[in-house]
Amino acid sequence: MDGYLDGVLLDQVSKRYGRGPWVLRDLTLEVSGPVVLTGANGTGKSTLLKIAAGVLKPTSGRVVRPASVGYVPERFPSDVKMSASSYLAHMGRVRRAAANDVLERLGFVGSLTAPMSELSKGNAQKVALAQAFLASDVLVLDEPWTGLDPAASAELVSLLEGRTALVSDHEGHFASATRVDLAGGHVTIELSRVVGLDALEALEGVRSVLARGSSARVVVAPDRSDHVLAEALRLGCSVRSVR
Amino acid sequence: MISLVRYLAADVFRGQRYLAPVIVFLGVMGMLFSSDAGQPLEAYSGSSALLYPIAAWMAVVVATSEDAVRREITVVSAGGWSRVLTAAAVVAVAIAVAMALVGAVWPVVTNPHPYTAGEFFVGLGAHTVCALLGVGVGLMFARPVFDSIGRTVLAVFSVVVLTYPLGRATPLGWVLDALGHNTFSLSVVWAGVVGAALVAGAVLVGVRRA
Repeated sequence: MDGYLDGVLLDQVSKRYGRGPWVLRDLTLEVSGPVVLTGANGTGKSTLLKIAAGVLKPTSGRVVRPASVGYVPERFPSDVKMSASSYLAHMGRVRRAAANDVLERLGFVGSLTAPMSELSKGNAQKVALAQAFLASDVLVLDEPWTGLDPAASAELVSLLEGRTALVSDHEGHFASATRVDLAGGHVTIELSRVVGLDALEALEGVRSVLARGSSARVVVAPDRSDHVLAEALRLGCSVRSVR
Repeated sequence: MISLVRYLAADVFRGQRYLAPVIVFLGVMGMLFSSDAGQPLEAYSGSSALLYPIAAWMAVVVATSEDAVRREITVVSAGGWSRVLTAAAVVAVAIAVAMALVGAVWPVVTNPHPYTAGEFFVGLGAHTVCALLGVGVGLMFARPVFDSIGRTVLAVFSVVVLTYPLGRATPLGWVLDALGHNTFSLSVVWAGVVGAALVAGAVLVGVRRA
């Protein structure tokens, strides 16, 4: 999991929980700057973020990430007995990181010494963000603008500028980031009597080719699926299914 | 790792769920040693038998002190599940050893029979072994091995209750049998090895399941 210190690489990552349906399928994503994940509910954004952060293992595929990753979950728990100052001090020691000014910049208002369960949703979210920004390499943030007021939201955008970050966002807060839409998904083409495997792999929009004997499963970006199908037929392959 | 252990211990003590097993332990200890508890090592068998379920209970408290979401943050901050689960095991064992020390000292103070230093250390060792076995059982069925606290409680309770009737067929039985006969045997050491292996195994199973 080392050796890719500039960002996060997800290489043909798939995930299913137990024997349930596939939440992610053959997803390849390289994060080397600010990236915003978009997509409807249930498209696997939170699962992808957990895999990128190292909370979940992918069912298949490979993840390469740097040593210091900061993570904010979708909902920071509301019943924490520890105070914000104590929590951030402990997290700083765990990371061997110096304290940052993120809380101040986000406009935290309230008692740092009271139990976090007494904080408002927005202030608890600011504490969650402050602990994530202790990380030096990559930030993985699941809907980090939740509960923040407009001023704090704008400040969070400026904090994220120039950082390597993978962020989910429904509301378009971070316009300057690269957008990846998970709702687009992919098209899987099952081929038989495959010839010209290299030519197939080289086609634009082909995300992965898994060869099994004379058959192959080709995962394609939806907008390029017609083109890839036409090329596969031209090469002499038989199409068994498209889904 | 030390910072992580300190954080998890602080979180356990900031919550109040640890109080229930501590109070039950101290209360039953008070009852056990309210009168003559018998020969020195024999007296230790009751408190050792008590420490086994209490340590299992405390291990569940330690393992589930953080809720699942905050545990995810800690895992990312610490750099992986193995570090966090190892640190949680260290905290559970440290608390269990502290309770073992209380269990070993208590009869020395309250039991009318005099204790030699050797008997005290045998008692401390026996308590520690029972505590390790309890911690191993508690961690083996706590999150992330079992996600639901209901299943955890049911599994730990079942294993703990079933351990006693099995007698000498279990490592706990080896310890209690030796103490009941007012002797020390090598089986107590082996029970300690089993206890340590159980704790390590619980960490490994947890890392695989997470």
